[in-house]
Amino acid sequence: MTLQTVMDKDRLAAFVDGEMSPEEAAEVVMHLADHPEDQAYVDELMAANQALAQAFDAPLNEPVPAKIRETIMGAEPDGIVVPFRRRPLAMAGAGLALAASVALAVVILPVLRNGYSDTQLALGPVAEDTALDRALENLPSGIPEAMESGPEIMILATLPVPDGFCREVEVIDEDADRLDFGIACLGETGWSVEVTLSEPLSSSGTEDGFVTASDTEVQSLQPFLDRLGAGLPLDAEAEADAIAQGWAR
Amino acid sequence: MSNQFRKDLVDLVPRLRRFALSLSGNQADADDLVQSACVKALKNEAQFRSGTRMDSWMYRIIQTLWIDDRRRAKTRGASVDPDAAGLSDGGRGARLPEDRIMLDKARVAMAGLTEDQRTVLSLVAIEGLSYKETADVLDLPIGTVMSRLSRARATLLPQLGMTKGPVQ
Repeated sequence: MTLQTVMDKDRLAAFVDGEMSPEEAAEVVMHLADHPEDQAYVDELMAANQALAQAFDAPLNEPVPAKIRETIMGAEPDGIVVPFRRRPLAMAGAGLALAASVALAVVILPVLRNGYSDTQLALGPVAEDTALDRALENLPSGIPEAMESGPEIMILATLPVPDGFCREVEVIDEDADRLDFGIACLGETGWSVEVTLSEPLSSSGTEDGFVTASDTEVQSLQPFLDRLGAGLPLDAEAEADAIAQGWAR
Repeated sequence: MSNQFRKDLVDLVPRLRRFALSLSGNQADADDLVQSACVKALKNEAQFRSGTRMDSWMYRIIQTLWIDDRRRAKTRGASVDPDAAGLSDGGRGARLPEDRIMLDKARVAMAGLTEDQRTVLSLVAIEGLSYKETADVLDLPIGTVMSRLSRARATLLPQLGMTKGPVQ
């Protein structure tokens, strides 16, 4: 049973909802001091507001779902323009075009370097405890992380493959005007970069990596994903579980 | 397409999901609603006036889509999943079992309101909009907002039965 009040309930509600001027609010405060039944109603309203706010606040503590983020950042509603960044390559296999006015700029680098730094993706095993290794091990998809050496690294997606997992990763080095994209897979001895693409960052698109869609690069890498037997990217929850379980090694 | 527009929209998503959750009662429907609203917003970016509040604009889009969806579905009320309500981490801030029960009561009570009442109560009590801002979002007279709010609370408060003070 809701409390009976002396003051009009709508006025008390306006007080609780912050709809009053300071002078009006002061009058209500004075009134409440002498009318405990009205104070009880105000308490009830405040408690209800707080309960409602808490009851639905879960989304405030969660990352933006990848699906929604991609809707906003990943494509025009008509699908004509897509971003090179943020879009898992494997999604291209599901019918989504990957970037690429980069077509002329992209160079597939089938070169196995003898060494590699934190700032570039190089084919071959990933050295333990490097920024790349740590990112592949622990970084959720879609969260850019600045490396100590300057470039930004981000995992684009985690792909299930028959014998484990592969992860799409990009490294953006603005100082060097370079964007590296690669696919690293987890083997018995750790992570290994299986394929890389590289391009001058300045040619990656018209604005912050947004480029006109074309299938060129997708077609060049799709057979590689097919050979891997890669499935669609894990959702955030499945990926978090895989990270928490140390990739089930 | 403005990149800043997209970034601002992403930043707004957690609050949009909260609003949509309060309307729909379950996160899956809420996310579908937010997704549809974002698509509509991107298509109609030109209609958004720079310098005005994007949150109010998006609340309006979500509310419109939700009402359209309800009309198509010809159903009434939000579908609260009892299991989801009980397991929701929306009660992270509620440390005591009785607090969690209270939050579940709040979700169920919200679901029992009419769409009009739930929308107004959500915008005012959860999203923190003023009566005037709520009236603008819903394109209603402020008096209608206040009357719907009053009826919503008259229905909701007895169900909560919280005369012992606020949830801490």
